[in-house]
Amino acid sequence: MSETTTQSELDELRGSVREFLAAKSGEQQVRRLMESEGGYDDTVWRQMTEQLGLQSLALPTEHGGDGYGFVELRVVLEEMGRTLLPSPFLSTVVLAGSALMASGDAAAQAAHLPGIAGGKTTATLAVAEADGAWRTDGLATEAVRTDAGWRLRGEKCFVLDGATADLLLVVARTVAGPGLFAVTGDAGLTRTPLRTLDPTRRLARLTFTDTPAVPVGRTGSAGPIVDRVLDLATAALAAEQVGGARACLEASVAYARERVQFGRPIGSFQAVKHRCADMFTRVQLAASAAAEAANAIAGVEGAPPAGVAAAVAHVVCSEAFMFVAAENIQVHGGIGFTWEHPAHLYFRRAKSSQLLFGGPAVYHERLLDRMGV
Amino acid sequence: MSGEMDVFVAEVRRFLDANVTRQATSGTELEWGTGPDQIAYFSTDPPDVDAAKVAEARSWQRRRHEAGFGWITGPPEYGGRGLSTVHDLVYDGIEAEYEVPDTGVLSVIGLGMIGPTILAHAQGHIKDRYLPAMYSGEVIACQLFSEPGAGSDLASLATRAVRDGDGWVITGQKVWTSIAQHAHIGMALCRTDPDQPKHKGITAFLIDMSAPGVEVRPLRQMSGGADFNEVFLTDVRVPDDHRLGEVDDGWRVALTTLMNERATVGGEGAGPAARAVSLPFLTALLKANGRLEDAASRRRLAELVADLTATEYLNHQALRRMQAGRQPGPEASVSKLMYAQNLTRGAHFAAEIVGPRLIADTGEWGAYSWNELLLSTPALRILGGTEEIMKNILAERVLGLPKEPGIDTRSPFRELKRSGGTA
Repeated sequence: MSETTTQSELDELRGSVREFLAAKSGEQQVRRLMESEGGYDDTVWRQMTEQLGLQSLALPTEHGGDGYGFVELRVVLEEMGRTLLPSPFLSTVVLAGSALMASGDAAAQAAHLPGIAGGKTTATLAVAEADGAWRTDGLATEAVRTDAGWRLRGEKCFVLDGATADLLLVVARTVAGPGLFAVTGDAGLTRTPLRTLDPTRRLARLTFTDTPAVPVGRTGSAGPIVDRVLDLATAALAAEQVGGARACLEASVAYARERVQFGRPIGSFQAVKHRCADMFTRVQLAASAAAEAANAIAGVEGAPPAGVAAAVAHVVCSEAFMFVAAENIQVHGGIGFTWEHPAHLYFRRAKSSQLLFGGPAVYHERLLDRMGV
Repeated sequence: MSGEMDVFVAEVRRFLDANVTRQATSGTELEWGTGPDQIAYFSTDPPDVDAAKVAEARSWQRRRHEAGFGWITGPPEYGGRGLSTVHDLVYDGIEAEYEVPDTGVLSVIGLGMIGPTILAHAQGHIKDRYLPAMYSGEVIACQLFSEPGAGSDLASLATRAVRDGDGWVITGQKVWTSIAQHAHIGMALCRTDPDQPKHKGITAFLIDMSAPGVEVRPLRQMSGGADFNEVFLTDVRVPDDHRLGEVDDGWRVALTTLMNERATVGGEGAGPAARAVSLPFLTALLKANGRLEDAASRRRLAELVADLTATEYLNHQALRRMQAGRQPGPEASVSKLMYAQNLTRGAHFAAEIVGPRLIADTGEWGAYSWNELLLSTPALRILGGTEEIMKNILAERVLGLPKEPGIDTRSPFRELKRSGGTA
């Protein structure tokens, strides 16, 4: 599908998403949602489906999707990252959507993907526990088969949009190895929203006390599912990070052109100008890495293996966004350190994104692993 | 567009398949400790080997020329093919997959920069005389631009050209001149009117490098070799028809030359340095030194490899965009900055791994030889436009930041404060 999407079609997609988000996810809206209980705007979520079909874009047509792929999704995610859109998009479409696809479980896909594609279901994937590691071995949360069906016991932490998601996909250990389970009811489930560094991205703790659950995919098959999801999720995150990084760069350049000190725009000083050039360099590099990862996942001809490209993008885009988010504050000086200025929102998003799937120690090893070292 | 390009690509492949062999794919495991123990960026060849390589380069350029790929973008009346820059880049991209002689001695400066300048600014009979000869590998050209007192601020150059009858007499000193020792002609920027502002009193000339008064002295750089030269010009006579462009309009001519300076530095793929600063080689280095399980070393390896790979992606995407017929973006400058940074980090990382065996030659393979690269890395941040100038260009031309204030472009050259000699 994606091979047939031309550059001008991608530009058009970017244009519509940008226009939509400019209207729906301006700084004032973002700040209002930061303070809200749910953390996102239900109406905007519905409009994302009704007006642009964003949730369905990259899902398969047999389950209510539009059948596009990662090349198109990347453009959407980049725009979302740019405005810091508070939304369960990453959790629902990328994490849960990819987990369902990777599970190969036709029944689960038929049960849940149409709801996701239609914007009716929000969902997430719960893997990490108290230590925050995205792994499937040594899990404390367990799934036990009882006469009444499967039950979950234990606790998941750092669950993206865990407090609000309609569908929870949970990785738990079973006697046959780690398995993926779907939880749709509230029986035996306690959701605890956590205070977060990035108020535009909600995380929760989920406590399971004999919670009824339905297995997704073959029992014991969660290892490869989570592995695949991590490739897609880190590539998706990379696109978001590029969008956020671009926003920081543009803010710095605009400010350096208009802010006058010593009788001239500060952007005419090499100390400031070169800082902006350094930011630009890192952003360009990150954009290339994110684009290559998207191409690789979409299976574009000549692209590198998806695991390698996603791991490269995860490293490069995490570092780039953090770098430019910090430099953006420096270019702005004192004003950049105020609560009222949006620079800190990007700083928060940058650090939170960098650590979401484990952080530098994890992503560096992941890269070496993907490259066979 | 793409149908015509497919035909071109097929023609390129036919030519290359018939004349040279494809490079071995990198899938094979690197065998540590075999092959020449050399990790050089600059040439370390003795003069006879160097001369043989120049001969090989000229002969390969002649074959390219005969097959119609000697000057892909050039006009047919001067032996060119009359195709677009995109075709040129596509050819380069494909040729990089094959084992071909390095033609850098001809192409980087002469064919890449000076040829287009001659085409744009020389008189007809001068074009006839030099262009076909240059693009068929016969004539090598060098660029006589930088001076001891004119580096990043090239327009402050002081080499004088004084009119004498129907010609000119040139006196001055040029420096950092690559391949001057092999060159038949040189393009020199000279001061013709010191009473005008610095950009306005410059004239460009083509100099016969064998003319009396031209003296080429090798310039030994910090890495030990001599890849550059000083060129002393003492009362060198140049006929007026060898002038490029109008009198006192040489800065515009120089801009043509510099505009044609392609991202040859950033785009470099092969070469021993790029082979060494790569995942397979660095992994083998860690293994050989028992550091492959060391967390700190792995972390640094991953950081470096991420940037190296992302830089490769950037280059591939730029090439793909151009193959699709789209204009190149600012990737070249980004690529150059990253290339210098990556090789520098790689050299220091390797140095840390080999430790004391870098500071004394124990004869061990893959240890002391890193010095060749290490001692070359400072140049990567300077040559072809210093990092500072590259960042100015990115900031001013791409990001639209205001120019540096207070640069004097109005006073007569004669009154400017300069270092390294007087006007």
